[in-house]
Amino acid sequence: MLIIGECINASNRTVAEAIARRDREFIEGITKTQVEAGADFIDVNVGAGQGTQGQAIEGMEWLVKTVQAVTDKPLTIDSDVPGIIEAALRSYRGETVMINSVTAEPERLESIGPLAARHKALLVALAMGSEGIPDTVERRLETCETILTRLTSMGMSAEQIYFDPLVLPISVDSRQGLVTLKTIERIKARYPAAKTVMGLSNISFGLPSRKLVNRAFLLMAAYAGLDAAILDPRDDKAMSLVRISDMLIGKDALCKGYIKAYRQGKIVD
Amino acid sequence: MADDILKLIQENVIQGRITKDDEGFDDGMAGQPGVTELIETALAQKINPQDIISKGLTRGMAIVGEKFEAKQYFIPDMLASAQVVGAAMDILEPHLAGAGAKAKGKIIMATVKGDLHDIGKNIVSILLRGAGYTVKDLGNDIDTSTIVEAVREEKPQFLGLSALLISTMANMADVMQALKDAGLRDKVKVVIGGAPVSEEFAKSIGADGYGADGFGAIRVVESLFNANAA
Repeated sequence: MLIIGECINASNRTVAEAIARRDREFIEGITKTQVEAGADFIDVNVGAGQGTQGQAIEGMEWLVKTVQAVTDKPLTIDSDVPGIIEAALRSYRGETVMINSVTAEPERLESIGPLAARHKALLVALAMGSEGIPDTVERRLETCETILTRLTSMGMSAEQIYFDPLVLPISVDSRQGLVTLKTIERIKARYPAAKTVMGLSNISFGLPSRKLVNRAFLLMAAYAGLDAAILDPRDDKAMSLVRISDMLIGKDALCKGYIKAYRQGKIVD
Repeated sequence: MADDILKLIQENVIQGRITKDDEGFDDGMAGQPGVTELIETALAQKINPQDIISKGLTRGMAIVGEKFEAKQYFIPDMLASAQVVGAAMDILEPHLAGAGAKAKGKIIMATVKGDLHDIGKNIVSILLRGAGYTVKDLGNDIDTSTIVEAVREEKPQFLGLSALLISTMANMADVMQALKDAGLRDKVKVVIGGAPVSEEFAKSIGADGYGADGFGAIRVVESLFNANAA
């Protein structure tokens, strides 16, 4: 499973303050820790509403340069504002890049889609449209169909698209875990070349022992066909389960990845 | 006698039990009367519906709020209790007009323009209904002009605004300005909430209150309501 490290996100107040005061040491530290823990991509998010878009753009440019100074891992540019994404791509060095995210909403699809196509980027596509997050599998699949049709007409291939089935809190609606899992299965069956991705932590909102709930859901999602997870790679138990699930679903020939991780002390009971 | 049954109603709100078949949060409660059966009994005993609400339901919900804030209760617990209060109110409402009770007040709820998140707003709406308010929920991604129009037509005492995105919370300020422009600002108390929103932000846009979570929102609305009534 591909791991996208989620820790550099301005919705976390400490991170937002570090970005605001251009704290290079803090960002370098949190980048290196995530890479050492096994992140394949580093997500970068500067938020939007605080200050002008110009300030957000400067913040994003600084963030991209600062993170790329200490790692060769590709970045996930996390924004729904085309101007911010464009600025990030201008400052970016390297071939592989991921954009997070687009939806089936026409104004986002028509602005972010062409950006991703032009830069040959990987693109996270949320299974939602103008009506919000659909609460059934069928309607989430319809939004995926809309997105895939439009993006391929812009010249993107299914391989570049990472569909996010979306996760709603199980505490509010006990059917939502299955809706997400079945959406993953159906996306993989219908578009075998496309990928799936999701953030895990939303599932446990409003519940006690959230990390344990997240980890259990990670295993079920892996079996349903999840290709990538957005999570905190510093959670060594979650990362152990990522390696174990790869092994258990036949993605780890001769269990080499698992045993290697074990020898490095990265399998935590 | 009356006190006993009101106490039982209160306990069953806390236990999240609508009927006698429901399990409670504690073990071994299935088979004992739930809130709907208890209310039928209370009405048969000619207990004032207003007392059933204030001493049974509202008090029970207040204790649920305390448990939630102490992290003994979680969102599903809170929703279960709110559903109990909703089922109880369905039985009680036809009796209220006869008892000369008056509704507490009307509140319009909306998630602002550009924002599709509705879970937080829905939880607050459920809790407000449980606290005895009449709630009109406009939905999510609601235009500023639609919100202002609803305030003009429905004449609510309160307007609740929600936003989950940093990029959409600015639209709350738009709503405040549009209410002023329409001459409606002094006609309605505005309470806001949502992950990126804070007390300082509420002050900065001139809102009347800020709710950090579901029960926080109820507390703010109740204190504004009482201040208004006084």
